[in-house]
Amino acid sequence: MQSIDMVVDATREFLHQTAAFLPKLLLALLVVAVGWLIAKAVRFAVERALRAVNFNVLTERAGTDNFLRQAGMGGDTTTLFGLLAFWAVLLAALIIAFNGMGLTYITDLLGRVVLFTPKLLIAMLIMVFGSYFASFVGNAVQNYCLDARIPDAEMLGRLVRYAIMLFVIMIALSQIEVGGDIVQRTFLIILAGLMLAIALAFGLGGKEWAAALLQRWWPQQRKDQDT
Amino acid sequence: MNDVQVPVLDTAPATGISADDALWYKDAVIYQVNVKSFFDSNDDGIGDFKGLTSKLQYIRDLGVNTIWLMPFYPSPLKDDGYDIADYQNVHPQFGTLNDFRAMLREAHRLELKVVTELIINHTSDQHPWFQAARNSPPGSPQRDFFVWSDTDQKYLGTRIIFTDTESSNWTWDPVAKAYYWHRFFSHQPDLNFDNPQVMKAVLQVMRFWLEMGVDGFRLDAIPYLVEREGTSNENLRETHAVIKELRAAIDASYRNRFLLAEANQWPEDVREYFGDGDECHMAYHFPLMPRIYMAIAQEDRYPIIEIMQQTPDIPETCQWAIFLRNHDELTLEMVTSKERDYMYTTYAADLQARINLGIRRRLAPLMENDLERIKLMNSLLLSMPGSPILYYGDEIGMGDNFFIGDRNGVRTPMQWSPDRNAGFSRADPQRLYLPPIMDAIYGYQSTNVEAQSRDPSSLLSWTKRMLAVRKTSQAFGRGARRFLRPGNRKILAYLREFGDDTILCVANLSRSAQPVELNLASFKGRVPVEMLGRTAFPPIGELPYLLTISAYGFYWFRLATDAAVPSWHEQIVSVDERPVVVLFDGWTSLFRERVVPWRIGMAEKTRTQFETDTLPRYIETQRWYAAKGTPIERARITENVLWQEGKVTWLMALVELDGAEPHGEYFLPLAIAWEERDDERARNLSTSAVAKIRQQAAVGVMGDAFADEMFCRAVVAAMASHREIAMSSGKLQFRRTAAFAEVAGPDFAALPVERPRGSSSNTVVNMRERLMLKGYRRLRVGLNPELEMGLYLTEVAHFANCAPLAGVLEFIANDGQTRLLAMLQGFIANQGDGWSYSLEYLRRHLEQYRTTPAGDAVPLNAHEAYLNLIRVLAQRTAELHQALARPTKDAAFSPVPLVRADIDTYRQRALDEARGALDLLAANLEMVPAADRERAAAVLAQREMLMTRMDACAAATPQGKKIRIHGDYHLGQVLVTRNDFVIIDFEGEPGHTLEQRRAKHSPLRDAAGMLRSFSYVQQSAVRSVAHNEAEALKLAPLARAWESEARAAFLSAYEASARKAGLYETLQPGHGLLGLFEIEKALYELRYEIGNRPPWVGIPLQGIVDWGSG
Repeated sequence: MQSIDMVVDATREFLHQTAAFLPKLLLALLVVAVGWLIAKAVRFAVERALRAVNFNVLTERAGTDNFLRQAGMGGDTTTLFGLLAFWAVLLAALIIAFNGMGLTYITDLLGRVVLFTPKLLIAMLIMVFGSYFASFVGNAVQNYCLDARIPDAEMLGRLVRYAIMLFVIMIALSQIEVGGDIVQRTFLIILAGLMLAIALAFGLGGKEWAAALLQRWWPQQRKDQDT
Repeated sequence: MNDVQVPVLDTAPATGISADDALWYKDAVIYQVNVKSFFDSNDDGIGDFKGLTSKLQYIRDLGVNTIWLMPFYPSPLKDDGYDIADYQNVHPQFGTLNDFRAMLREAHRLELKVVTELIINHTSDQHPWFQAARNSPPGSPQRDFFVWSDTDQKYLGTRIIFTDTESSNWTWDPVAKAYYWHRFFSHQPDLNFDNPQVMKAVLQVMRFWLEMGVDGFRLDAIPYLVEREGTSNENLRETHAVIKELRAAIDASYRNRFLLAEANQWPEDVREYFGDGDECHMAYHFPLMPRIYMAIAQEDRYPIIEIMQQTPDIPETCQWAIFLRNHDELTLEMVTSKERDYMYTTYAADLQARINLGIRRRLAPLMENDLERIKLMNSLLLSMPGSPILYYGDEIGMGDNFFIGDRNGVRTPMQWSPDRNAGFSRADPQRLYLPPIMDAIYGYQSTNVEAQSRDPSSLLSWTKRMLAVRKTSQAFGRGARRFLRPGNRKILAYLREFGDDTILCVANLSRSAQPVELNLASFKGRVPVEMLGRTAFPPIGELPYLLTISAYGFYWFRLATDAAVPSWHEQIVSVDERPVVVLFDGWTSLFRERVVPWRIGMAEKTRTQFETDTLPRYIETQRWYAAKGTPIERARITENVLWQEGKVTWLMALVELDGAEPHGEYFLPLAIAWEERDDERARNLSTSAVAKIRQQAAVGVMGDAFADEMFCRAVVAAMASHREIAMSSGKLQFRRTAAFAEVAGPDFAALPVERPRGSSSNTVVNMRERLMLKGYRRLRVGLNPELEMGLYLTEVAHFANCAPLAGVLEFIANDGQTRLLAMLQGFIANQGDGWSYSLEYLRRHLEQYRTTPAGDAVPLNAHEAYLNLIRVLAQRTAELHQALARPTKDAAFSPVPLVRADIDTYRQRALDEARGALDLLAANLEMVPAADRERAAAVLAQREMLMTRMDACAAATPQGKKIRIHGDYHLGQVLVTRNDFVIIDFEGEPGHTLEQRRAKHSPLRDAAGMLRSFSYVQQSAVRSVAHNEAEALKLAPLARAWESEARAAFLSAYEASARKAGLYETLQPGHGLLGLFEIEKALYELRYEIGNRPPWVGIPLQGIVDWGSG
């Protein structure tokens, strides 16, 4: 009898708990469903808004669209931003839903992911504007060199573009806190190597010019006169 | 409709002298005749009034409207009649007073005014007044008729005029025992106007002739009437008082008579003879004449400009009389002594040719018989301010004989023919008053009226033409004169302006061809129409107007506001006049959705400027803009795509116009080229520039892409490769036809491209005379009949005499609607269209007969060569119809039998047209030119008869076929190519919808269109060749004969080719369907002309009258 009671109690308890959990689950499901709808709407609104202000033109000019296309993505950068917004809203809904269900660990986990989204967004914006700026400055340098009839104008332009892009990528990466020290060190190594290469090139290629310069600043004759 | 402008004959000549016109003398061209020299009717060796009367028609035909008769009064003839012995009679040598009256009547019947001499300064010493005076006691009224003195020391300050013969102005009269005063010869004593009896006698003489009907007097030697001690005895105040009295006497009793003062004085002195409009109506401008000679001798305009500047203004009702030569010597009194020396050495190297202070020669010998110089002199005479006087014989270039003595060398008999005595008289040669000119150059055998009348290029024919042209504008007689001062001093250029009428006269005074740049900026936009040939020159623009003129050449231009610009003229607006569009990102600067976010505002601003200012300004000046004159508020780009080929991008735009015609949609492909990077393209584009563009430091041109060689080639290449370009609401579809390879050849991508030519609806680019890219501008939705017919004739019927279709560019909207944007056709090397060819042909033919005597017959087969060409045209027309009548499965082209219902429809349409056109005519009768009113009334009166005849025409049995036809067939739609024709422009009647144009009809509609076109040519040619109503009347029968021959040739050759195809029942002109279509077309033309070109209404009206009476 006692065993029956235990079973019954356990069942009752289970049923109680289930009865208490079911509404929470249903509510969570409702929250997720509503969140999904809102996310869809936000995605639509973000994409429309971005396109209305010609953000897509900017990303295309910046070359990020092309980059994404080459990476096998169906849409352009604006689509990606829409997607980000969609997931941000959906994740928020999930947090609420899980929180409601008392699953705090999952809530914390999702919370961290959601907090990362703005950083990603900013990093992507940095990439978009940075790439546009890089290509703008690169083109300006190239056009200036062409007009000034400086040889290798195209190469110089590209060099400037790549140099700016390097900084932009670094900033973006530091924004999303990826890489950290190793990226910085790699950058410093590359910079130091570059400076060394320039110094060597200048030292070897411009030896005579440097000698002539030195000669002018401290001429041998003056030494002779002094003696 | 034949879209060619032909000037319209003003059938009421502007300068026709009407009896009521008090200012008739301002438009007069005066012919100076010496009765003695003109024609001898009684074979006594001296010309007479009967002779003159018989030659008045010649004078009238010359184109002058006034005759000035030199003295014909009884006289001892010691000074060629200027020594009068009886003021109120006719010298018996010249006939009787009745002969004079008969001559006057005849002249007035021929609308010629007659001016005689009133010589009141002096009489002959044989005049009864002088005989009475010398025999009367001093102080008596008879004696006082003349100026007497006991001494020859009075009036010592007076110059002697005839220095060669007279040594004093006083001559001793042994009878009167006193000296008498004479300013001219000693046998010409001066009348004494201080004696009131003299004035009374003179007024009586004047009234005698005025009562008879004489229209005016030339007042001979007028400055010398009164004498006062201590003066030069010229131009005295008292003299003017005498003239005022004469004028008052005329004005009191007579209308429209005039006085012409002969005062050989400087202009400022002559000015006095006009008074305040209360002395003489006209006065000679003596100083101008030698300066015209001087200007040509020195090849410099200065002498003429200088004297005209010194010429004072004269009262509104007065006029100058100007001349080149007259019965006296070419007087050099009005030039400085240095100038006189220059004139003597140039024009009278032979001392015999000099007399007094002048040169006794005629115009032709002075010009060394150089026809060009003679013409130039006459052109100056006829266009300078004043009424010109022509001296008899100068119109044929008569010579002189200065060995005869005095000035008789320029008074020899008129040279009528190569017969004995120059046809002047049948008398024995030795009886002639003077021998005629007989030398090899000027002799009557070679220079005579008869020969020159026959020769259309003779001086006589030319003079007739010039006088006819002068009559067409009152500006010559009445206009203000304004000299232009081009840099080239050998060019004399001046404007004659009267009301809205402006005439530009340009003369090259030098013996070699000269260029000139004229500043005509104030006449910008006007079209200079050369008045002799009525040829329109390119319109006046911003830049100086450049002309080149042959040696001693001249032009008279009417600066017209109503004439059409020559069809071949390309209006190139300097790119500097185009607005500047500042771009920041190439083409995308115009599209807000294609720029980076922070430039959206700038893009919107640029687009607004582009659509509301740049494009409207460009489109409004284009020939293909349909609503000409209507300003465009905004040219809205409704559909566009940036088409990129290699490094070049074009904007393919469809544009809708706000503020212009409803739903006006245009195709506007545009190109951009930057000056530094793409100089050659930029240069090409600047010929049809839309705007100057700037992007940062780079400048360039945006222009019509058809002016871009690369674009034209890209279009052809895209057609060859069946390219498609997606647009937001449809696509651009390029495609080639089966004939592409054959027409375009393998090297089509490398063909040189010529500059585009704009026409009323499209732009045509010629590619090395092999391909023709035709860009349509005004777009229409639907299947274009030109494309449909082109495809059928090229690919199915293989009709050789049309331009083969090689490719097409269409815009196909998402809803399936198509718009034809461009077509690629094979180029047709041609000699112009049939309209210009025929019109020019007929004009040449008529020109030949314009100045010849009316009786000259046209040779029987005169038009045979032309008619052969028309037969070929008829054959090609028949072949076209046969090609279109071939059985085919294509429902759009398969022929169907003509049934009763069709004829009923045709009948109804024609009757509707008749009602519409005739009602419109009745409502707009006041718009019909005066000359055509009678015809209009005749047409309106025939209304019922026309309807009945149309019914009769429609009663024909329904026999024949309905096929696709040309639809707008006339001479302007066929190109003449090596004695053959190519039929073009299958777009159909522009006023109809595309569906109406694609309907099937009886082919006789095309035939009727062509027949009407002949009628247009016929009447246009007469209007453009004839300068006045008389010429038009003379030429009309010749033109009508041509038309009837051309019609007959066309119909018979068409019949021969088309009969067997069973296309129609009868081809009898004016009957059956042909007749019905012809009258319908004429009525349509009437409606069109009333609405668009009222001066042309006469042409369809005549066609309707002819049809009604046919």
